[in-house]
Amino acid sequence: MNDNRTDADFAVLEEITQRNQTWPIMAAKYGVENPLPPWKTSLDGFCDALDRSCATPEQLDFSFKARRDEEDELSATHYADLPFPENQLVSLAHSLLARGVIDEVELRRRLDDVRARLES
Amino acid sequence: MSDHDHDHDHARTVKPMVEEVTDFEVLEIALRELCIEKGLFTAEQHRVMTEFGEQIGPTPAARLVARAWLDPEFRELALREPMEASKKVGVDWLNPTGFGTPSDFYAFKILEDTPTLHHVIVCALCSCYPRPILGNSPEWYRTPNYRRRIVRWPRSVLAEFGLELPEDVEIRVQDSNQKHRFMVMPMRPAGTEGWTEDQLAAIITRDSLIGVALPKPGVTTNVSNKTVPAVRPIVE
Repeated sequence: MNDNRTDADFAVLEEITQRNQTWPIMAAKYGVENPLPPWKTSLDGFCDALDRSCATPEQLDFSFKARRDEEDELSATHYADLPFPENQLVSLAHSLLARGVIDEVELRRRLDDVRARLES
Repeated sequence: MSDHDHDHDHARTVKPMVEEVTDFEVLEIALRELCIEKGLFTAEQHRVMTEFGEQIGPTPAARLVARAWLDPEFRELALREPMEASKKVGVDWLNPTGFGTPSDFYAFKILEDTPTLHHVIVCALCSCYPRPILGNSPEWYRTPNYRRRIVRWPRSVLAEFGLELPEDVEIRVQDSNQKHRFMVMPMRPAGTEGWTEDQLAAIITRDSLIGVALPKPGVTTNVSNKTVPAVRPIVE
């Protein structure tokens, strides 16, 4: 594994982690009983689609095995305070940022766009 | 229609929901949109994979084992040709939802327990799991903690799930991989004589098909185990 990928810090992900709107907290706040957040199945489909159809250039080393290894390491280090599946999601974001598949500026912009859309 | 001459709160007849947009919900959408725009996969590929994930679960596997307990010929088929037996409970391993499989399945095998042999499955490398017939894996199955320790100390790890096996029962840990998936066929427990397939299927839990529990009359839920994700891997 390339240590640089898991060692990197991404402020945008740190901020999300710090705000800690994790499912156990949000579910308790609103009295929701579902054990997993509603976006979990979409995340599963996301990972399956990546594993099956990933068109990332080979030199990025973004195979199923590489993704899962990084998820395990990141979930035990950078994102150890997050529950599952939040740690899976943020680790995936970290792996995509670390490879330069997406960059932090465009991710921030898209986060703002998506939030504005959902809150409109 | 009722005349509403009663005092219950209609707002409370709807299940509560999280009424704010969370960062994680936004992050999942934002990442996915960016990946689609960059051509890593298509929205259609994401849709079919998500639908696959939403419709799978352990019911077909429980049904298969219950039928095998009741029908010796079906049991023989399940052990000899597990992919054919899977079709009888509605799972086609080579084409589970009509659009192909989400991974490279080539082989599926059912591991039959005996009075002196107990099986448990793991994926030491990542988290391969017989998803078409057993649904998505539980969180603990994915953790390095379970994956490393079940291989090294199976008896102790099973005890953490509340499954304490006699010393004369051999424990065989079966490692899965991207091409080979496995499922356990536990033994039919005493106290289920005369039960129907539906009654039997109800006690064949996901955990008993992984091998971290045994079916037991009256128990229809999975185990809450004590394993937690390893914060620091063991250094040899």
